[in-house]
Amino acid sequence: MLRYRVLAHTADIGIAAAGATQEEAFENAAFAMFDLMFDLSGVEVSSGAQPPDECRVEAEADTPEELLVAWLSLLLAEAEIRGLALCRFRVEDLGGGRVAGTAGGVPSEGMVLRGPPIKAVTYHEAAVVETPTGWEARVIFDV
Amino acid sequence: MGFRRTGEVTWEMAPEGGMFVPGRVFASPALFAKAEADRALQQVANVAHLPGIVEASFAMPDIHWGYGFAIGGVAATDVAAGGVVSPGGVGFDICCGVRLLASALREEDFRRRESAIMGELDARIPRGLGKGAVATERLLDEVLERGAAAAVDAGFGVPADLERCEEEGTSRGGDPGAISARARERGKGQLGSLGAGNHFLEIQVVDRVEDAGAAEAFGLAPGMVTVMIHCGSRGLGHQVCTDHLADMGKAMGRHGIAVPDRQLACVPVNSKEGQAYLGAMAAAANFAWANRHVLAHAARRAVAAALGTGPQKAGMDLVFDVAHNLAKVEEHRVGGHSRRLCVHRKGATRAFGPGHPALPPDLRPVGQPVLVPGSMGTASWVLRGVAGNPAFATAAHGAGRMMSRSAAKKARDGREVRRDLEAEGIAVRPGSVSLLAEEAPFAYKDVDEVVQVCDRAGLAAPVARLRPIGVVKG
Repeated sequence: MLRYRVLAHTADIGIAAAGATQEEAFENAAFAMFDLMFDLSGVEVSSGAQPPDECRVEAEADTPEELLVAWLSLLLAEAEIRGLALCRFRVEDLGGGRVAGTAGGVPSEGMVLRGPPIKAVTYHEAAVVETPTGWEARVIFDV
Repeated sequence: MGFRRTGEVTWEMAPEGGMFVPGRVFASPALFAKAEADRALQQVANVAHLPGIVEASFAMPDIHWGYGFAIGGVAATDVAAGGVVSPGGVGFDICCGVRLLASALREEDFRRRESAIMGELDARIPRGLGKGAVATERLLDEVLERGAAAAVDAGFGVPADLERCEEEGTSRGGDPGAISARARERGKGQLGSLGAGNHFLEIQVVDRVEDAGAAEAFGLAPGMVTVMIHCGSRGLGHQVCTDHLADMGKAMGRHGIAVPDRQLACVPVNSKEGQAYLGAMAAAANFAWANRHVLAHAARRAVAAALGTGPQKAGMDLVFDVAHNLAKVEEHRVGGHSRRLCVHRKGATRAFGPGHPALPPDLRPVGQPVLVPGSMGTASWVLRGVAGNPAFATAAHGAGRMMSRSAAKKARDGREVRRDLEAEGIAVRPGSVSLLAEEAPFAYKDVDEVVQVCDRAGLAAPVARLRPIGVVKG
């Protein structure tokens, strides 16, 4: 299964991330966000990464779409503040109006940008839907 | 969508469903056809659902599909009648805008020192990712309250620069206390940095003057080299919008408001949440005014260093600085009465006409300079505000995209785009070569046509056309 596909948008960039579970779709949406900026193929983060190369985020919101936007927005801010290209994601808790998880990455300094930096995560046409093969998380990024 | 042509360059959609006002688009038939090709017109209709909106949900000739508002969208809400403020009507890049400097150089002067000038700019203009910035974070608190004025006090630029900035480079009411720790953290290392995407610093030549009197008042003459800077409030502004959009989603229910797109979340201007957003937005706008100011200072020093002279000899006087992502409370006449309106301009430029008291005395007889950057490699324009503007004193903000980023990359890669530009005599210093492809000229509409429509629609009048000769990109 492809982790994500790019959705056409005139000025910005949309993605549809797939997963066998909602959690996996959220993880793949986060992967897509950073893979659009940096080519993450071949980027490895050591499994024992500790802060500042690993961060933990959590948010509360009323709907799956709001949780998706909050999850991605928090990761984007953490990556910018810590100067990281995040590449490994784990959603530990999703549901009941809450999302929590961790992400690990490598320093972004010196990495080649293959796409424009993503400024923010929008609610426009955001969706978390069940599909015949699992779940899909769709979102449009402002670039 | 139910739009019909109502004038040479005007298209209108009567209110349907929950629309409080009509949708109104200024476009030639060719530009309107491009707007029909994506979801921009639906977004114009969606904005007409904002409580308190007056007259129409407008769109400028460079309209294209955005998120929430269309890019090029303009909406004014009546503050006293419960009118709302919507962070989506400002966008994530709060107070993104354009600044134009007029140098003492002519094109041949630039060509003689092209490599040195481009090299100095390349070295001194921080861009792309990373923490490089011209100013230190010690300035941050001052900047959030006082914008470009704080940067001048810290030694960047000169006091006279402030007269040539919209709002004199300071958005009143900036409330650093309304900014989250996360937003401060994102912004603290970014004051004086360009960013990437469609942001740029460009060297241009005045290649045509359409209005000699206005050009002279603005300090522009044929053959003169100019420097244009396009950027905004960086991570700090993006985070302010993110924070307040999340809060407003919850607050909307308390105010009994429903909108067709979550990105249009809004609350009354005169509510606790509305005032908190406007205070944070003004602080982020102050970051953006100061950011462009500090970058202009770096550009002045770069050019002077390349020429081996003092900054005065290089000229580099500020023509004007405009925002094109902002909401502001302004007085406008509606139905024969003066009303306090919250005017949202999302990818649209304020364009005050002659005589407006907000303009500096030397520009008041002429009207406000309106800066319309084209795409990389194509012309940009300087316009002036005119009397009787039909869209709350607003004009276009650029050429407007028409091709997605992935389609642009498929058409030509970054190296090919660089070669194309260099073949046109445009020196290029990209932060990332692959990003050049996404900003290729063919991904954008024809800026000359956008300007023509602005003129015909009475939005703004052309003053001078600028041709690019050097581009520094993120």
